[in-house]
Amino acid sequence: MMELISYCRVLPEGISVNGAKVYAPDSTESWQKDLYTALGLNYPKFHKMDNLSKCAVLGFEAMKQEGAPFADFGDDEIALIFANSASSRDTDERFTESYEKIAHPSPSLFVYTLPNIVMGEMSILNKWYGENVFFIRKTFDAAMFTEQISIYLSKGNKACFCGWIDHTSEGTDCFLFLVRAGAGHLSPEQLNTYYKQYRNE
Amino acid sequence: MSELKENLKAQIITQLNLEDLTVSDIQDDMLLFGPELGLDSIDALEFIVLLEQQYGIKISNPAEGKEIFTSINTLAAFIERERA
Repeated sequence: MMELISYCRVLPEGISVNGAKVYAPDSTESWQKDLYTALGLNYPKFHKMDNLSKCAVLGFEAMKQEGAPFADFGDDEIALIFANSASSRDTDERFTESYEKIAHPSPSLFVYTLPNIVMGEMSILNKWYGENVFFIRKTFDAAMFTEQISIYLSKGNKACFCGWIDHTSEGTDCFLFLVRAGAGHLSPEQLNTYYKQYRNE
Repeated sequence: MSELKENLKAQIITQLNLEDLTVSDIQDDMLLFGPELGLDSIDALEFIVLLEQQYGIKISNPAEGKEIFTSINTLAAFIERERA
């Protein structure tokens, strides 16, 4: 049994939490930096992160500021379940370019050439020590998420912070949601409805 | 020397993506790996890349890095020594 507590969409057009737009950037060119400022963040490491991690930090902070109860759970009670379709392609391409063009590949780019680093950044930000897993799927797979959430909650985790985050030259698709063990029920169809609802905004 | 220090500060801000900082925020004697700037081990690697890329200097003995990267003062002094 599981209950969706909060969900969020991060796009160049702005951040929506639980169905309502809460922040909009001044410019679509520097939208991540604008949203960082709009959220009042003071986390210099943000500027060094890859785009997947930036999306996750922005969404997480917006959810927290809108009342998502992350603090209700212990530092090892939240499992992280993330997925995307393009892995770390955005950073891979930039790293390859730096390697080919200037012959001095950037170490700070290299460390983000794995998609699961996004969960490491969330764990560092929050000092979380729980379990985490990252999947690659062609498209958003609601059944995979609900199945994994069920498994992780049955293993004693109190909540799962989940995310579908893609950032490529073709666009950004970031959907985050927090689920806790409870009396409610979250079906793949319901989760898919939340995801598609946001896509149609 | 002061021009070198100002250049180093600007290059560090760019190379390390320290977007919240300006050149005037970095004092010459400020600990680069202290609490003010919050740099980490990946940033240390970026320093090595920066020295090679911008100044053509390779650090032959990595153990020297801790001393060289203490502050803008020590970094500029090292570059001056290598150039002499």
